[in-house]
Amino acid sequence: MTAERVYRLLLRAYPRSFRSEFGGEMMLLFRDEYRSRNSVALGFWITMVCDVARSATSMWLEELSARAKDYTRIVEVIMKLAGILAVLLGVYGVVNAFAEAVPGMRGTLGGAYIVALVLGIVAAALLLTAGAALLRSPVSGRHTAIIASLASLVTVVIARLLHPWMSILALVVGIGFPIVLFVALQWPNRSGPSASRAV
Amino acid sequence: MAKRQRTAVTPESQLPLAPATFQILLALVDRERHGYAIMKEITTRTDGAVQLGPGTLYGALKRLLESGLVEKGSERADPELGDDRRRYYKLTKLGLRVARLEARRLDAMVRAARQKKLIGMAPA
Repeated sequence: MTAERVYRLLLRAYPRSFRSEFGGEMMLLFRDEYRSRNSVALGFWITMVCDVARSATSMWLEELSARAKDYTRIVEVIMKLAGILAVLLGVYGVVNAFAEAVPGMRGTLGGAYIVALVLGIVAAALLLTAGAALLRSPVSGRHTAIIASLASLVTVVIARLLHPWMSILALVVGIGFPIVLFVALQWPNRSGPSASRAV
Repeated sequence: MAKRQRTAVTPESQLPLAPATFQILLALVDRERHGYAIMKEITTRTDGAVQLGPGTLYGALKRLLESGLVEKGSERADPELGDDRRRYYKLTKLGLRVARLEARRLDAMVRAARQKKLIGMAPA
């Protein structure tokens, strides 16, 4: 195995992005240095291996740090998308409650039915609030969004128990989405600090 | 166009420089050089006291490029080294100012050491 092949193998210790930008030049530099020496002693290889070990570690730390920043940006984008979805589903919930109320008005209206409808609208409004909070600020709005999504979930369950007026879709949206949103809002909290500690 | 956004970089915010970084900036003060030429200039100037390996050199160059102190020049062959095309690096205006400030900082430290008679007197 030639010296250049050995060094090419050593270069694999560096992050891919660093290798693709500087790997060719490093290879060239190694070749120049190797050829400039009349005899290559063990010391030369020890120096090269130490250089790779030291600088590759440093490059990986920088790479991981950059990835942690990217991770934060990805979380923010996900939160924005969740916010948009929450707003849309909140609007859907309000429209659905009113659509349900119109035919209900024709019959005899029971007290429990009216309370259930009002609670349905309140739940949808809470979901809207959660979405708006996330859209305003994915970071500071997260606490508001967690409370609003939990309150929405509780309200929907109470409304459903008072009167079984909701369709399957409205139930899935009204109960499923706040749960998913709650879990999603908790997730970055747990993995965020450990990611930065790794750096 | 994906352009890396930089926060306002002041020359003072870059100080103090790591020794290897300052050596690279010094090597680029008089003219642009490729990696091997930078390495050789440093070794020659310091009488072999400072020897940068390829990883250390290009790691430092990567950071210097990102902080705007150094920029990439043309890619061309070095007649003394053969036909391979080599990437040349050159100092930016910011890089020159930072190198100057670092030199002044080190000069002040040396003057202080001389005043305290740490250096510049005959050994006892």
